[in-house]
Amino acid sequence: MAIPVIMPKLEMAQETATIVEWLRQEGEAVEKGEPLLVVETDKITVDIEAPASGILAGVRAEPADIVPVTEIIAYLLEPGEAATPEMAATAVPLPPPPAVQTAPALAKTRATPAARRLARERDVELRTVTGSGPRGRVQAADVQTSPITPERPAPAAEVIPLQGIRRTSAERLAASYQEVPHVYFTMRVDMGEFEKARASLNASAQRAAAPHVSVTALLVKAVAWALQRHPWLNSTLRGTEIHLLPEINVGVAVALEEGLIVPVVQHADLKSVSEIARRVNELVARAREGRLAPADVAGGTFTLSNLGPFGIEQFTAIINPPQVAILAVGATRPAALVSPEGQIVIRPVLRMTLAADHRVVDGALAAHFLAELREVLENPTLLLW
Amino acid sequence: MREITYSEALREALRQEMQRDERVFIIGEDVGIYGGAFGVTRGLFKEFGEERVIDTPISELGIAGAITGAALTGMRPVGEIMFMDFMTLASEQLVNQAAKIRFMFGGNATLPFVMRTPAGSGTGAAAQHSQSLENWFVHIPGLKVVMPSTPYDAKGLLIASIRDDNPVIFIEHKLLYKVKGPVPEEPYTIPLSTSEVKRSGQDLTVVATSVMVKRSLEAAAQLASEGIEVEVVDPRTLKPLDAEPIIRSVMKTGRVLIVHEACKTGGYGGELAALIAESEAFDYLEAPIVRLAGRDMPIPYNRTLEYHAVPQVENIVAKARELAQGRI
Repeated sequence: MAIPVIMPKLEMAQETATIVEWLRQEGEAVEKGEPLLVVETDKITVDIEAPASGILAGVRAEPADIVPVTEIIAYLLEPGEAATPEMAATAVPLPPPPAVQTAPALAKTRATPAARRLARERDVELRTVTGSGPRGRVQAADVQTSPITPERPAPAAEVIPLQGIRRTSAERLAASYQEVPHVYFTMRVDMGEFEKARASLNASAQRAAAPHVSVTALLVKAVAWALQRHPWLNSTLRGTEIHLLPEINVGVAVALEEGLIVPVVQHADLKSVSEIARRVNELVARAREGRLAPADVAGGTFTLSNLGPFGIEQFTAIINPPQVAILAVGATRPAALVSPEGQIVIRPVLRMTLAADHRVVDGALAAHFLAELREVLENPTLLLW
Repeated sequence: MREITYSEALREALRQEMQRDERVFIIGEDVGIYGGAFGVTRGLFKEFGEERVIDTPISELGIAGAITGAALTGMRPVGEIMFMDFMTLASEQLVNQAAKIRFMFGGNATLPFVMRTPAGSGTGAAAQHSQSLENWFVHIPGLKVVMPSTPYDAKGLLIASIRDDNPVIFIEHKLLYKVKGPVPEEPYTIPLSTSEVKRSGQDLTVVATSVMVKRSLEAAAQLASEGIEVEVVDPRTLKPLDAEPIIRSVMKTGRVLIVHEACKTGGYGGELAALIAESEAFDYLEAPIVRLAGRDMPIPYNRTLEYHAVPQVENIVAKARELAQGRI
């Protein structure tokens, strides 16, 4: 006797299931308990076992059909038993659920003439107003209470072509930010001794009529000193090779009206503070006058960006390839520090953030470099080392 | 002020004009000794004599022809057609002759006549004695059409009509004849083509004619107790129409219900609706322009059916309420 195969109800609230596939073809034999077909509810996909041994016949539902639970979807016949015409009855799967239908938007908003007039007068977009009238008709009162929708075209922007320095840096910064895996490290530095040293240097400079030593100039010296001790920060990545560079050429980011430019203090490690100060002053002045020579901006191996003069306390910078690191320096500000003796003291504090190419510079390496740099900034005497 | 009926106001207008101007005379069926089918001319035969209050045979076309001819020769006749339904018989003289002559003679002839006639249902006079055919005449250039709704308007408008140099179709209402209202004793005129706001309100404008003005005012009083303030405007002269008060009112309220007794199809309401839609009031409309009018059927003799054939106070209340509440 034919045994019906019924779409099972697998969950409490289940009303239908979708046929995924039949594991036996029509006319094939199946043993009781063997997987016969796969169905999918809205929660699970499950194998359905044959309710009896027999020959699969009268399959009424195809893969992808959605069938109400308890519906007969096939029969299992005994050997030799013939399928009856009723068994061959076509399946009556439910139509697939309609795709979420969005009512076709009415070309025109239903609105009274008075509402339309008011909308014109008040520059209200009628489409945005919810109508309270019959069939959602927008009434004048609806327009009155609706906020004015400023859908008038935005005033035309002033168009500045991206060109020159700005275009070059835009392309290079974008490329760097996309290609180089940046990693950032921030450290606080007590700048008390640094400021003292700088004051002392500037006293001498004044007497010798030598150039004033800026924070940037002295930072360049300190950075070069630290780079000497951490050559991986002064390297470049070429294909599968890390090239530790023979020179320490520190670039100084200078903001110009037409864009960002980075003149370079060549051999910063070999120059005296006074020489660096003179060079930085000269480069900045030339940059501002637009008289930088190609050599002035070439060959940088590391970049220093100091936004301290603008009052920025901390920021991150984008590496200037093929360099592998850039140091972003904020302003020196009085801040509460805990002294080694456990006292809270007010000290001039600077925050510096190193951005490094993580392909070359690991966290520990960056930490060592920053710690060394802090050491020299907090004890400038070490520059004499 | 003294209160008299609509009928008395009309009689007073006729008497005062006949006293003032000997060219004025009355002609119609049973207007003399009988005093008119609705009593409007009662007593005038005795006062002015058969020369000036002339009874005719049942001959509406004859009455219309007589006043047309008399007007052409310098008289200022007032004809009466006993029921407006029989204006159909008088139409040839009114429509084809009186309305045209002034124009066809290049302005060299004037036709200073008034044709008075009662219209409307409500008296159980059945289909052939209950019609409101004002729009037949509104449609004819050269005719003026006046429809007073109060005793005061009846007197002032009738005197103005008698003094007008054009043929005036003066349509009274059977149900208004006994309605009382304040009417000054001295002669006065209400200029033709002046619409009047009969009641002020800001929620809805009802433009109504003739007896529907009275029903609309009653409806407005009921609605006022619900907090709906209806403005009732009475055109008074249907042609030429003083549209401005109607347009101004619709601009104020944004909603308008037009009420008349004549059948809706081809009725004056269609004209008013179109006029409003074409005017600057269009941009102030907050709902469709709605008409409430007589059903498109002959007025039944059966009193219950007759009652339901034309707008009643409760119909006006219901429709006005729906409109004012934003449900239309």
